[in-house]
Amino acid sequence: MDVSAILEAHKSKFKPVSVEGKVIPVEFDLGLLAAYDQNPLDEAELRKGKDAYLHDLARDNTQLLLNQVFQLPTVSDDAGVLAMLPAPTTPLPREKPLPKPKPETRWEKFAKAKGIVKRKKERMVFDEESGDYKPRWGYGGANDDGTKDWLIEVPSSADPMEDQYAARREAKKERVDKNKKRQQRNMEEAAVATKLDARAVKRGDRPNMDNVRAMKRREIENQILVSKAATASAGRFDKKMDGDLKPKGIRRQFAPTITDSGKEKSGNMDILNRIVGKGGEDLVNVRKAIKRTK
Amino acid sequence: MLRTITPRNARVKRFMQNREAKVEENVKSALFIRGSSTSQVVSDALADLYMLKKPNGVNFSKKNSIHPFEDHSTLDFFSQKNDASLCIVATHSKKRPHTLTFARMFEHQLMDMMEVHLENCKPMRDFKTPKSAIGMRPCFQFNGDMWDQHPQYKMFKSMLLDFYRGKTVDRVALAGLEYIISVSHGPLTAEGKPGKVYLRTYTIQLKKSGVKLPRIELEEMGPSMDMTFGRAEEAKPETWKEAMKVPRELKPKKKKNVSTDEMNNVVGRVHLGRQDFDKIQTRKMKGLKKRPAADEADSADKKQRVDDSNDDE
Repeated sequence: MDVSAILEAHKSKFKPVSVEGKVIPVEFDLGLLAAYDQNPLDEAELRKGKDAYLHDLARDNTQLLLNQVFQLPTVSDDAGVLAMLPAPTTPLPREKPLPKPKPETRWEKFAKAKGIVKRKKERMVFDEESGDYKPRWGYGGANDDGTKDWLIEVPSSADPMEDQYAARREAKKERVDKNKKRQQRNMEEAAVATKLDARAVKRGDRPNMDNVRAMKRREIENQILVSKAATASAGRFDKKMDGDLKPKGIRRQFAPTITDSGKEKSGNMDILNRIVGKGGEDLVNVRKAIKRTK
Repeated sequence: MLRTITPRNARVKRFMQNREAKVEENVKSALFIRGSSTSQVVSDALADLYMLKKPNGVNFSKKNSIHPFEDHSTLDFFSQKNDASLCIVATHSKKRPHTLTFARMFEHQLMDMMEVHLENCKPMRDFKTPKSAIGMRPCFQFNGDMWDQHPQYKMFKSMLLDFYRGKTVDRVALAGLEYIISVSHGPLTAEGKPGKVYLRTYTIQLKKSGVKLPRIELEEMGPSMDMTFGRAEEAKPETWKEAMKVPRELKPKKKKNVSTDEMNNVVGRVHLGRQDFDKIQTRKMKGLKKRPAADEADSADKKQRVDDSNDDE
């Protein structure tokens, strides 16, 4: 049985879903639900009936766009049928720069060396004391570290009059303080490493934290040297002491004894020009110079 | 300058973290700002553009004396305060009538901006047709050959897509495709400058078609604007480069050994491993047959022994 005639008749009852007459095929960016029609607009049509022409053009291109969207693979959800979109292809700018990677902490470094992997722990834990679930830590948390026990056995070595609750509280406080100190140290080291390994940070990598202690030491030494030189004579007439830090990496440069005569001449002329030539007046404080000669 | 806030509780901390630079960014929100003098045309246009941007827009109801092309420090401040990276300033003057200035920020600093002068505007309320719901994702279409060629057209296209693209998602509800923003441009002027640009907004109706794909009909919902381009300021190359960086996590992973040739055929390369010529099946010939080495030595030995026995006798 030939059903093509029946199908044709059924189809002819509706308007078509295909669009003809596009010289350049329309491009799509389905990730943005966008259609880019490169065909220039018909000027004569535009002049004749602008709104009607634009409406027809928009309808045709929307039809083409939605034909593409409806052919995408779909999933069903309680929100209805969802089309799976590809990633957008049109490049658009970000609103903020890329996030900078956080420098490695000492623990992370250690964990990496030992092969310790972070495991997800559930937030609520069963507390046997109260018989219900409590947050692992934080407000109303389960880990009171024994500070809420109703009875504490006094250790045989301890002073019987000592408050064991206070001792436990104290111990916990010490642990917390120690951790805070370590956090602070991590932050300081990260700041130093970020400053000294700026190249890696600019590239978007983590700064090298391998010899942070040495870097930190050098940083402090430099600061000491700078502060020492901050006197009226720039440290020149200050008393030197044993074990004073010496500036590293400063080399005196000497011109060779025998050189090209032209080079020597031009160098000397440069100096002379700077003093007596144009702009030389600014170089010497005349008022001060006169005062000195008196 | 804004004062720097140090978070004192978890809620503030979360809020601050949400504003920090991220791999996958938040939806860009937009500011809709009235200049010192506005006309009814630009106010209506601004209100309609705000309606389309809702809920990711902030509408400034008071007037602000802002001239973005002279001094953009106020815009930078507003951008930082509201954590918004897009803005439209509506102004009206004798020299530049009915003007909207579209501006984009990067790191709360003005990146690029362009002016459009409006003509023949028809606001949304003048169309007595059903409107799309608030916060729906629009479809876009750009008609004309200049959108990828002329710098100002390029900028406007990029700007408009950036304004209304919403969150980057990997799936979209087919029933939620409610409206389309259609932008077309007419011919260039005689001097080769950008001509008129027509922005139209239509609601989409899906009709029966007898096949699986629906027949599309459009109904204009507004706003409808004809515009010409005014001044523009392009992004500095280094800022643009920084803004266009794609984080490593979002880059598509390279597929090894799979490529496409000029004819769009997928070509795969398979590594077969090292070939062992001793085990390969080749043409069998008696002369090429290899006898095991041990076997050979064994037979030679036997021969020797036979000779020895002969000597004894």
